[in-house]
Amino acid sequence: MIARLLIRPAFAWLRQPGLHAAVPILILLAIGFIGPLVLVAIFSFMPPRSFTLDGAPTIENYQTVVEQSFYLSLLRSFAFAAGTVVVLALVCYPVALGLAKLFGRYAGLLTLILVLPLFVSENVRLFGWVLFLLKGGGVLAGAAKAVFGLELADMLYSNTATLMGLCYVYLPFMLFPMVLGLSMVQRDVVEAASDLGASRWQIMREIELPLAMPGLVIGGLLTFVLSLGALTESKVLGGSKVIMIAADIESAFTFGQNWPLGSALSMLLLVLAGGLVLLVLRKLDLDAILKRR
Amino acid sequence: MRWNLSRRQFMRMTGAAAGGLAAGSLLPRGARAAREKELNIFCWEGYNSDAVLDPFRKEFDANVKAETQTSDPEAVNRVRAGESKVFDLINLNNPWARKVLWPEKLIKELDRGRFEPYFSKMMPSFKPPYRWAMSDDGQSLLGMCQRFGPFSFVVNTDKISRELAEDQGFDLFNDDKHAGKYGILTFDDWNVYHMCIGAGVHPFRAHTEEEIQAFEKVARKWVKNAKLLGGDPVQMNLALINGEIDFYCTGGTYTASPARFDGKTNIRGITPKRGPMDGKGGIVWIEVTSVINNPDGSPLAYDFLEYVQRPDVAKVVAFAEGTYNPVAQMGNADVQAKFSKEELDAIQWDSLEWELERSYEYDINPDYPRMIEILNAAKRER
Repeated sequence: MIARLLIRPAFAWLRQPGLHAAVPILILLAIGFIGPLVLVAIFSFMPPRSFTLDGAPTIENYQTVVEQSFYLSLLRSFAFAAGTVVVLALVCYPVALGLAKLFGRYAGLLTLILVLPLFVSENVRLFGWVLFLLKGGGVLAGAAKAVFGLELADMLYSNTATLMGLCYVYLPFMLFPMVLGLSMVQRDVVEAASDLGASRWQIMREIELPLAMPGLVIGGLLTFVLSLGALTESKVLGGSKVIMIAADIESAFTFGQNWPLGSALSMLLLVLAGGLVLLVLRKLDLDAILKRR
Repeated sequence: MRWNLSRRQFMRMTGAAAGGLAAGSLLPRGARAAREKELNIFCWEGYNSDAVLDPFRKEFDANVKAETQTSDPEAVNRVRAGESKVFDLINLNNPWARKVLWPEKLIKELDRGRFEPYFSKMMPSFKPPYRWAMSDDGQSLLGMCQRFGPFSFVVNTDKISRELAEDQGFDLFNDDKHAGKYGILTFDDWNVYHMCIGAGVHPFRAHTEEEIQAFEKVARKWVKNAKLLGGDPVQMNLALINGEIDFYCTGGTYTASPARFDGKTNIRGITPKRGPMDGKGGIVWIEVTSVINNPDGSPLAYDFLEYVQRPDVAKVVAFAEGTYNPVAQMGNADVQAKFSKEELDAIQWDSLEWELERSYEYDINPDYPRMIEILNAAKRER
């Protein structure tokens, strides 16, 4: 009896009806989400170029990752992801402020216009940009020549074009969390600050930004992680001027036919991105910020 | 009708249904219906087109699924890794059936009496026994042929004349004066072969250390000097048409034909006049479609192989969506008559024979794993 009493608190959670109800979804997640990741993790320790999981485990793939120049793709992917976050933060902030506070009934219409492109495949949208920016017969260059007689410089196949593509594709992922964040800033607080003599700059820095921080952080993280794994923008708009880490992973799984190497690169990206997200979330305690409201 | 179940009854019924479904999927294969009415095809794009598959589905009352692949080695490795249990037919370029799939028992042989007569009706170079459709010992028929095409590089003839391109061959890419004027279509395996030719090295033989170094030098130079790298032939053709680039490699009839069919006949696949492969400088691929050694294979696989040999279907396969290619069945006058003048022009019928004479038949590169690593490093360190 005493033993039962002692054990009970430790395993009490096992008897929770909530857990029992969640069992089906837990099984589904284990098979459909955790399972593949575990498989990738195991594959990363298989001998190079093997296609089964029965080889003798080795760390050779991780050695290859360190010895070869994969750090270049990793650094570039991080740089592009960081660049995208910075550009989008600057571009989205005024728009988000407008959507949350100023545009009134037009906000819905504007939101719809911003969301609509998401229904079209990313590849198609990027290819649209290619048609727009191509020299010669491209929409922009063709129009500039026909209307103003101007010869435009090359705009495609550069790092700027890649960054533009990333910003274009991931804009909604930054904008909408930001709108949510900014709508948590109550007008009374801003007015109170203003009445007490705060300048517009002080209001933004000391009232709006701290209160909207959860939205900003979530938007930033979403954008960062998504652009870290992006590869189409660099291929279609950037002409592969730089090779992103996702392109290296794709190449290892396809033309390279080295699944273990691809798995090792995937694990590395997963650990780095996951680690970074956890770090940021820990520094900026979202719960605490949200409760502050 | 009204449902009048208690929550308990509902849960019991749902549980029984779910249990039944789960048990059904656990039954051994033999206990399920045989796969007489379904067919799974693993192919290069074209055979997956509804224009090809729908009439077959209707005629054989079959459920046909086709998955497209984008690289021969990848497809072979997927079949090796266990997808031979999924697919019934595999459509690959010429060396794989004979040199890899058959020795590894991943495909089944075809009945020579039933299928060999079709080869007699193909273009003269496919006369039976056709080497790439046969096993090494010449005894077993391993697959059927249809699409093929010269595959080297593509130029805009307004910028680089056909004569100059054929004469210079892959040295066009070696020439510093063309830096920033060409693209590389990243079909990486083909890039490796073409860069070998650019280095004066036979791509389909074992290589010495010096040859690998020569390859690396060319790989780094071509990648560095390229204006753009991309995996989409449409992207390359658009860049060519709009003057972003003057030529691109890896390409041929397969990639140039959609632009040509669209009226841009200044876009042309080029076969070099000479090169390091027994004097030849271009490569030609020939597809071989084989029956996979699936333990629960569909009998429809054989019907499909015969179906695509019919003249009207062969024409549809040649001009299926995406890319347009010559087919071996054009040796039959009935098939050839189905092509319009524009269609023949799109697939460069005028120079096809000349190009085939100067092309080496695609094969396996024994140093591919090492060379692809070098090419990938060159791209990263560009």
